[in-house]
Amino acid sequence: MLILLQGGRVVDPAHDRDAIGDVFIEDGRIVAAPTDGRRPDATYDLRGKIVMAGGVDLHSHIAGSNVTLAREIMPELPALAAAGGVDIAPSPATWGSYATGLRYAQMGYTTVIEPALIPTHAIEAQIELAAIPIIDVGALGILGNDDYSLGLLRGTGDASELQDYVAWTLSHAKCLGLKVINAGGAEAFKFNVRTFSLDDEVPDYGVTSRAIMRAMQKAVTDLGVPHPVHLHCNNLGVAGNADTALATMEAAEGLPIHLAHIQFYGYGKEGPKGLSSAAPRIAEGIARHKNVSVDIGQVMFGQTVTISGDILRQFDGRNAANPKKWGLSQGEGNGTGVVPYKYRAKSFVNAVQWSVGLEIMLLADDLWRVLFSTDHPNGALFVRYPEIIQLLMDRNERARWLERLPQDAREVSNLAAIARELTYAEIAIITRAGPARLLGLQDRGHLGPGAVADVAVYVERDDKKAMFEKADYVFKDGRLVVRDGAVTEVTFGRAYHVAPGFDSKIERRVADFYDRYYGAKVSTFGVPDDIAARPHRFAKVPCQS
Amino acid sequence: MGDGAGALERAAELLGGARLPVIGGLLTDIAGAQAALALAEKLGGVVDHAAGTALTRAARIRRETGVCAASFGEVRNRADVVVILGDAPFDQDPALLDTLFAPHDGLPRPGNAKRQLVALGGRKPSAPKGVPLTSIEIGKGGLPAAIAMLAAGVGQRRFAFKDKSLQDKIESVADKLHTAAFAVFVYSAAELEEPVLHTVLQIVRDLSNKTRAAMLALPAPGNGEGVNLCSTWTCGLPVRTSFARGVPVHDGWLYAADRLIASGEADALLWIDGLDGKPSALPGRVPTVVLSARSGSHRRGDIVIEVANAGTDHEAALYLPAITGIGMVRPSGQGSGKPTVAAVLTRLSEIIDARGGR
Repeated sequence: MLILLQGGRVVDPAHDRDAIGDVFIEDGRIVAAPTDGRRPDATYDLRGKIVMAGGVDLHSHIAGSNVTLAREIMPELPALAAAGGVDIAPSPATWGSYATGLRYAQMGYTTVIEPALIPTHAIEAQIELAAIPIIDVGALGILGNDDYSLGLLRGTGDASELQDYVAWTLSHAKCLGLKVINAGGAEAFKFNVRTFSLDDEVPDYGVTSRAIMRAMQKAVTDLGVPHPVHLHCNNLGVAGNADTALATMEAAEGLPIHLAHIQFYGYGKEGPKGLSSAAPRIAEGIARHKNVSVDIGQVMFGQTVTISGDILRQFDGRNAANPKKWGLSQGEGNGTGVVPYKYRAKSFVNAVQWSVGLEIMLLADDLWRVLFSTDHPNGALFVRYPEIIQLLMDRNERARWLERLPQDAREVSNLAAIARELTYAEIAIITRAGPARLLGLQDRGHLGPGAVADVAVYVERDDKKAMFEKADYVFKDGRLVVRDGAVTEVTFGRAYHVAPGFDSKIERRVADFYDRYYGAKVSTFGVPDDIAARPHRFAKVPCQS
Repeated sequence: MGDGAGALERAAELLGGARLPVIGGLLTDIAGAQAALALAEKLGGVVDHAAGTALTRAARIRRETGVCAASFGEVRNRADVVVILGDAPFDQDPALLDTLFAPHDGLPRPGNAKRQLVALGGRKPSAPKGVPLTSIEIGKGGLPAAIAMLAAGVGQRRFAFKDKSLQDKIESVADKLHTAAFAVFVYSAAELEEPVLHTVLQIVRDLSNKTRAAMLALPAPGNGEGVNLCSTWTCGLPVRTSFARGVPVHDGWLYAADRLIASGEADALLWIDGLDGKPSALPGRVPTVVLSARSGSHRRGDIVIEVANAGTDHEAALYLPAITGIGMVRPSGQGSGKPTVAAVLTRLSEIIDARGGR
């Protein structure tokens, strides 16, 4: 069946395209216009509408034992958010797996990456991911605080065994890439260490955060995993931590690295309250270090919950919990910290955070490396994305928001001076084209022939929030799944992962390790192909060796 | 016992026509739990698990106050003071101490004190070789007071208890906890009631200001933890949730299967028993469909459908204590050839739809 999407403004920055034109779909793929005079079987008149590839969200906590722990601690989150004006149903089911997929699709997103899969809990993560309808997914597996890695890095550090171990872990858990969260910090916390920086040493193992990060970068690069190490730096949320972010960029020494939710590291110590925006320095650092990519982790005012494997920092933040309850689960490797949190426009600190994220995006020199996220739900619920897009595209809207902020926050913010308004093409880069490219998902984020036919169509409106809240049409693999902001067909997508090769010796070694220290069989957390009870659930992304 | 196809039809008729059906037992794997939740939603019924009391008690603590937990592996490797509260941990897992105190060194752990065991409960356990044991035997009913005293001791609040000898022993345990590098409280939510669970959590939080501490729950039997997690990621709520009004509503007392049956609010029961382990008694007496992997777990008049045993007969995702999470269990043998719980529930759902729905 040949489908023609006709006459819309096609915004496809991967192909330098931003013009009125046509998009053809056949057999689930974008195809070139037929040259044989074939008539389309279905035509959609998209005059007045914007056509983009389906959204690709590279960092959103949507599945896993960590997310479900947060659901257990805060079933009332949707109700509180709705009471604060967010347009979601106030039921606990709203942040269950099923509702997550539908809502993403309604906004025109078609691929979402779970950034924190705990390897021993891979089964729950992959079952939950499979329960999310419509969207394609991928997951990043967490290493860097696990004892096996630290044991290898102790002393001389066996690079080839670490490489095999990383490959084995990613294959075993069917992950798309590697996540490292406060490398060494979670393990140090188990020894009652309460602050941990780049050059601090993990007790007993004696290895630094910097060394762990470097070793993981080398492993990932040598394996040819397309996505670089996805790093959650040390000192998240600490005033002055822009120094940490910049030191980490330097520490990467030219090897690719992705720094997650960089807003949370965008703080200086200037001003009467000892907290200021260091966004210009961060933006300059990203511009200078071309091997570095980031996602923003934009904060929005309102109720949310923070979910993180950075148990050291989550524990430190427990007294700021709002409502006053919190969870810490010490587990193999990182574990999970859950701290409910309410960002308030009247709070100096939260106002600075809100400004920092926007500043970093608007000051970006190369938006292909400065990608959109709220670190859902940590900065804001993903349903807030349309509001953020509006703020990026409309400086008057930013000015209206700034007026509500405390005076002392405005004094340390740089936002008022930034006139830039992102274009549709730039929005497409940071929400589709850039993330897809960075993840190594070459068949999406763009509308060139051969791309998967994941297409989002928006009615062009002055009110960008309204525009991006409800896609007019969404096609997933060439099937219409959303019409006028409502899901019309519930489909189920695929999970993308890498399967790098490894020396089989590592399997015996890891099996012995888990048996000896945990009394556990590694086979119990190996993800089978049929875990979703659906054919073709998993799709391999090739490594680039 | 009924023949296969006939039983399915009769079950569909019963459940599809019920005013408030309850899906109970839920002794099944994750796939079975997913199918049960979908069926409950379709029928506008209630889901409960055989271990629902403990599960919902623990869920309530989580949503009121949160958690400070450690995984089994972390306790085994890092804890230098392990405090077992009550008897249930030993009753539920007779090998508990052997698994928590492996005979060899564990992974690097904080502090260098010799690992020790404290037992606060009804009877003195036998300590693993070389592990110093402090056993404080307390009569039934005395445990809440003992834990309250421990909390006061840890929080350095003065108190006087009628049994001075017990008070001294408890205060000495409090001292141990203060000097511990990582103290862990092992307990069962089936045994400790909510106020006591809150107290233990508060002890852990007080200790956490200066040192490390955590709690380790014995998992609810019958894949209770797995089923409960599945309920949570599916509808945002734990078991004892009703789908009768479209949006799911949870209440640990209101939606208990046995209470609903005893009161007459529930008019049909679908009881799922597809695992090994101690058989659970079926609650009350209403028209019942039993999905059973064992013989004899039904009563005269029940509609019985034989199902496979998850993990023994087929690959299954189940909560596994060793990884403190859901893992895959693969059968060693041939399999019984019986349908899985998930397959039967899916078929029931299809038949109900074909009959014109509920």
